[in-house]
Amino acid sequence: MTARPVSWVQPSRRLTGLLLVAVPVLLFAWMTIWPILSGLTTALTPQQADGSRPLSFDNFVTFFSDPYSLANLGITLWTCLITLGLLLVICIPLALYLRFAQGRLATYVQTMAMFPMFVPSIILAFAFIRVLGPNGMADLLLNAVGLPKIRSPYLTPWGPVIGLVWDNIPLTVLILVSGLGAVSNQAVEAARDVGAKPLALFWHIILPRMWTSVAVVVSFTMLGLFASFTLPYVLGPASPEMMGPFMQRTFRDLRNPEMALTQATITMVFCIAFGLFYVRAVARNRGN
Amino acid sequence: MKRRAFLISAGGVAAGMVLLPRVSSAAEGKIDWYTSSDTNILDFWTNVIAPKFEAANPGLSINLIDAGDGAGQDAIADRALAAMQTSTDPQADYFETADPLSPKGAMEAGLYVNLKESLSNWSKVNPLAIETDFAVPYRGSQVLLAYDTTKLPAADVPKTWDDLVTWIKANPGQFIYNRPDKGGSGGNFVRRAIHEANGRDPSLFTLDNFTPEYAEKTLAPAWEILNDIAPSLFDNGAYTSGNTQSVQLLGQSAVTMIPAWSDQALQGIATGVLPETTGLVQLTDLAFSGGFSRGVVLSNGANKDAALKLADFVLTEEIQGAIIVELGGFPGVSWDNVAEDLRNKYKDIVPSSIPTFPGGDWGSAISDGWYRNVAPNVDRNA
Repeated sequence: MTARPVSWVQPSRRLTGLLLVAVPVLLFAWMTIWPILSGLTTALTPQQADGSRPLSFDNFVTFFSDPYSLANLGITLWTCLITLGLLLVICIPLALYLRFAQGRLATYVQTMAMFPMFVPSIILAFAFIRVLGPNGMADLLLNAVGLPKIRSPYLTPWGPVIGLVWDNIPLTVLILVSGLGAVSNQAVEAARDVGAKPLALFWHIILPRMWTSVAVVVSFTMLGLFASFTLPYVLGPASPEMMGPFMQRTFRDLRNPEMALTQATITMVFCIAFGLFYVRAVARNRGN
Repeated sequence: MKRRAFLISAGGVAAGMVLLPRVSSAAEGKIDWYTSSDTNILDFWTNVIAPKFEAANPGLSINLIDAGDGAGQDAIADRALAAMQTSTDPQADYFETADPLSPKGAMEAGLYVNLKESLSNWSKVNPLAIETDFAVPYRGSQVLLAYDTTKLPAADVPKTWDDLVTWIKANPGQFIYNRPDKGGSGGNFVRRAIHEANGRDPSLFTLDNFTPEYAEKTLAPAWEILNDIAPSLFDNGAYTSGNTQSVQLLGQSAVTMIPAWSDQALQGIATGVLPETTGLVQLTDLAFSGGFSRGVVLSNGANKDAALKLADFVLTEEIQGAIIVELGGFPGVSWDNVAEDLRNKYKDIVPSSIPTFPGGDWGSAISDGWYRNVAPNVDRNA
């Protein structure tokens, strides 16, 4: 079925369409665009002692000349990149398995892979302390077989990394599996028929069709990781802190909304970069 | 067509009636009670105080309303103040815990009843807990040290700040406190260090005397004290992100001692989160800071007299005992007015003084100062 050309649409119906679209657009403008503009304006016009608000980059200069803030930005980028790398390493084989395997075991694996989606992160955080924390289940099991205790990742930068990887597995696997839908069984079988080894098969047949979904994973999870709050808050070290907890603390405890908005703007700039990456990946896919 | 028009107009009237503000007045003998506290407090009132009060006062009942949070209850207080100016019914009689200084001007306008003059049990109230005559401190909680008696016998437990520091250094990795902004147990541990650095004189810190220079002068020595013990803390200087996580680490036997809220520790022991062998101790040279919850009675409430009876009732030995046993809180009355067996059981944690630390700008200065000066200065892998 083909879509009717636009010119056929009667004027009154066009108005109805616009009205229908207006609700989400207005909501988006009100709840997203307006806060961004308002926040940006506040961050760029620091309040002076006399109450005036001239345009100035003072807040940003303060941020980038403060080693404490920079360390927080650094740990955020470090956590995001490490988590992303681990996610790809874990989830690509998992997605390949789920795409090609059949039978009962695959169903169980899929259930396990989707399970984290239904666990709230605050529950996950406390379970993490129980399992991987000091004298947690991992330690008890190791101790039972006479092995030394692990050095717990709890309250170190690796705590949030492990938690975030586990939390993000379902979304990553879902996106990758849907991307693998583009790989037809015929193409795989044809390559096998001419004697392609598994690695060659992956490299020449599967990977080229997966790139878009990998790009989507990179941008989606990076956005999610940048915005993460609960896991770094509960599992991470006191210092340096990730941008999420840092912003919240600046806003609420230090009662400094201007600096919190500055931190939010800087975080936003990084997220926009990944957002653009996503848009390009999707646009390129449409073009094909 | 007529039928449809009728339907539409009838529907409109019905909807309008639903949307109309419903005018109702408070029921006679039913105290409209609001709280902004946590669920455990509402549960305690629902299951303990309300049934006991209703049994003791036939004809009176309590309408327990959860205001959600402080902002929710402030809105009720604002409404009561407005109702006072128009002489209407505020539909509120009692706030479980409130600051009579809020909303601004309410106390001067006479919104809250002077409880010192109105309550027969006021003389029982612990004088250390009284802040104003307009609010009755009926339950409290204080930070103290919770420790594992299987690793540290009660006889050897440190009872002064100096002993505590010596113990922490002699037992590296066995103590942890939470980040000062993430929970009161760590927050008041840090405040105790600030008191220690300034001659153990809590009167040096008031809400009004904050200036950045004064804060710098008084806080910097405290950061030195805390940095000094940092390498001997759990995992070479780790800090949990909340009261609960510290309790969890003590429960998992990962550390030997933590600062903890009294009610949280007592409740933890009662529910098995902390083992029976958990000991509690308060420092004797200067106690950790704490806080009291203070109830207020609204002077323009329709059931003011009943509400005053309730305020008197929560100070009775029966309810104060329940606050200790069931809630794990501190009594609002002096310990002399608590049942003798309870007084003996908890004699180790009865404070001789209840220091407090002002909030406001001090809170922000302490949080920011600690994060910048204490949290990062440790090489965790050393």
